[in-house]
Amino acid sequence: MSAVAPGAITLENVTLCHRDRPAVHHLSGRFEPGSLTAIVGPNGAGKSTLLAGLMGRIAPSTGRIRLPADGAGHIAYLPQQADIDRGFPVSVADVVMLGHWRRLGAWRAGGAAQRAQALDALAAVGLAGMQRRVIGELSAGQFQRVLFARLLLQDAPVILLDEPFNAVDERTTADLLALLHRWHREGRTVVAVLHDLAMVRAHFPRTLLLAREPIAWGATAEVLLPAHLQRARLQAEHWEAQAPWCAVPDQPAATMRAA
Amino acid sequence: MNLLHRRHLLLGALALPAFVQAQDAPLQVVASFSLLADMVAQVGGPAVQVHALVGPDADAHAFTPAPADAQRLAKAGLIVVNGLGFEGWIDRLVKASGSKAPVLVASSGITLRRVAGHTDPHAWQSLVAAQRYVENIRAALVAALGTTRPAQAAAIDARAKAYTAQLAALDTRVRARLAAIPPAQRRIVTSHDAFGYLADAWGLEMRAAQGWTSAGEPSAADVARLIRQLKAQQARALFVENISDPRLVERIAREAGASVGGTLYSDALSPPGTRADSYLKLMTHNADTLLAALAPAPALAPAAAPTAAPTADNSRR
Amino acid sequence: MTVYDALVQPFVEFGFMRRALVACLALGLSCGPVGTLLVLRRMSLAGDAMAHALLPGAAVAFLLVGLSLPAMSLGAFIAALAVAALAGGVARFTAQREDASLAGFYLIALAAGVMLISLRGNSVDLMRVLFGSILAVDDAALLLVAGVASASLLVLALVWRPLLVECFDPNFLRAVGGRGALHHQLFLVLLVANLVAGFQALGTLMAVGLLMLPAIAARCWAHGVGRLSVVAFGIATACGWGGLLLSYHFGLPSGPAIVLLAGGVYLVSLAVGPRDSLRARFITAHRHRTA
Repeated sequence: MSAVAPGAITLENVTLCHRDRPAVHHLSGRFEPGSLTAIVGPNGAGKSTLLAGLMGRIAPSTGRIRLPADGAGHIAYLPQQADIDRGFPVSVADVVMLGHWRRLGAWRAGGAAQRAQALDALAAVGLAGMQRRVIGELSAGQFQRVLFARLLLQDAPVILLDEPFNAVDERTTADLLALLHRWHREGRTVVAVLHDLAMVRAHFPRTLLLAREPIAWGATAEVLLPAHLQRARLQAEHWEAQAPWCAVPDQPAATMRAA
Repeated sequence: MNLLHRRHLLLGALALPAFVQAQDAPLQVVASFSLLADMVAQVGGPAVQVHALVGPDADAHAFTPAPADAQRLAKAGLIVVNGLGFEGWIDRLVKASGSKAPVLVASSGITLRRVAGHTDPHAWQSLVAAQRYVENIRAALVAALGTTRPAQAAAIDARAKAYTAQLAALDTRVRARLAAIPPAQRRIVTSHDAFGYLADAWGLEMRAAQGWTSAGEPSAADVARLIRQLKAQQARALFVENISDPRLVERIAREAGASVGGTLYSDALSPPGTRADSYLKLMTHNADTLLAALAPAPALAPAAAPTAAPTADNSRR
Repeated sequence: MTVYDALVQPFVEFGFMRRALVACLALGLSCGPVGTLLVLRRMSLAGDAMAHALLPGAAVAFLLVGLSLPAMSLGAFIAALAVAALAGGVARFTAQREDASLAGFYLIALAAGVMLISLRGNSVDLMRVLFGSILAVDDAALLLVAGVASASLLVLALVWRPLLVECFDPNFLRAVGGRGALHHQLFLVLLVANLVAGFQALGTLMAVGLLMLPAIAARCWAHGVGRLSVVAFGIATACGWGGLLLSYHFGLPSGPAIVLLAGGVYLVSLAVGPRDSLRARFITAHRHRTA
């Protein structure tokens, strides 16, 4: 895959709510083009919700999300595995070939070239030869690799990953991290929600520490300071049943999408 | 002496209007079922008031009498039944009502038809036998009215004559139409057992639909058997009442090369205002339907009968 | 009786048997994939719900036009479609699940239909007119079933992939901009069309029975959505053929015979099928691979 035009994502005073409870509260900032950012924070901090907002699945209650406007711009998304019905009788090859969707559309069948690329992607994630297996037979780690292979094929300038290393063993984690680095070298914007702070310190140059409200966003070393982490913990523990209505002024909410 | 005389006169004067009224009151007649009731009404005209125990569209075999029926019988001046075992319940009902009225068996004197060891009671399906019915009814009505109302008796005679003429005319027309159809093509398969007299009178060959037992969902075996029978007997028309799905009847008939029958009325008139609400209309309709099924010819012309024949209704019910 | 006499001759001799078989075949062709998808989407009871949902449409058509088969079929189609669309819409835009919303709307439709009919007077032959029987398939019904089957196959061929993805990974479909809701509604339209055609030609029992039972039984024999559809079609056709023969040779009513045969196939599949069966569960394989 060749290096692609980078994309930047800008958030302006974004609030994302579930009913009237904010999951992400007045977040502003920018994912620089070509950056490799980790989103960390305590449970319930709104990390997955933020990704959903970036994908356009949740409309912001306040503020605006600005996505890359260039023509090739689209976002590839790795969901948490629970969202996929693994009992469905499709093969590994079927799932990986879905990565060609943008090129093939809904009904054109993939040719030999596309199939070869799919096999290459499988090999890149260490699953060579597994193309005919049914996805229900795979382990969690193997299936995660399949999803990564699909991401590879999608060749998107922006890649969002929601807890990609959950329930995955060390070797798989190492292999997939190598992939993330490869995307970073190719100039794609990569954002990943993670729990393992040691991994973040070792591999991710930028971090957003989120606990409903943004605690810190910037270079990892400056974000993951004990004071920030402490504040994040306190923020998450602070959950009121009768919290007052938010008085911060907001702009009309809109998400602009690339054409 | 004077007083007695005057009281008698007074009584007589008072009683006279009632007496006169009684003379003009129509004769109360109870007929066992709607067909007979219609015949009686046609013959009797304004001189009679007829009530049918088994009304239009009802089943005489399933009739359960109500107390009102017993009362009517008690008050009736004449009771008309078909006989021949058609009304199994009538004897007990008449006895229970304590009625003193004479009972006319309308079918007396006709040539009987025997089927499977017993007598077929549906004699009215033959127009020839029906004329005998009319004669019996006429005689009974005249007898019941007594000699006290000669004018009415004469009117009854006249009406009976006219009615008989209508029946005879219909019979003649049907036979004329049927003559155009060769006997070999007059075969009909039917699930009815009520048209024996009709078949005999008009020279139709009616066979029973074999083995069609259930009123529920049919099996392929039933359908196959019926088709085979239709083909083997070269039946031209199919009239089955107990196949509930009209599309299935159409299918069977089409595959066997027969035409789909319509509705044949057997034991009861249809409700007032519909196409078979009098005996004459009923027979005309049956004839039309049979003729249309046997030969695609136009319906009987309305001709002289005031109860004009409706056009042949060959559609499914 | 030779094998030929037992298995083939009845169809040679009788036109109604041939038509019935062709109707089964046509229905099986489209019911194979549609039924398979229903089972995979956990909508196995949808067919039965639809059979009730079309009542108010037929009732309205009857009130407006009278006892006319085309009008009532059209009304039934529209009503069932409305129920499917509303149920689908509710499931998509609220937290309600698909089965709950479907149950809600079909019950409303059923009650509305019953009320409409009762207000008018006699209910008699309304449903009888609408629901046919397999032995009485005439040209119009055959054309309808065959037409719907062909159209279904065509549409399914076009939207197969997005339909599948919408089933097992709807987020991905949304991410790549495939219109999941549209494809889902399209699928529901196909379902309703197949059901209404099936009801009219074959009656409710047979239509829903042939839609669901083969697809359910197929899971014990095949994996992979394509193969499941083919196996389902095969079972549907075989049961149609076998059921008709049972009805012919043993005098059993045809509709129930076919559906019960399909049920028998299902039970046998459950017991001894190569996968997802009792045999697979309790009789362990004697050999396995090294890796």
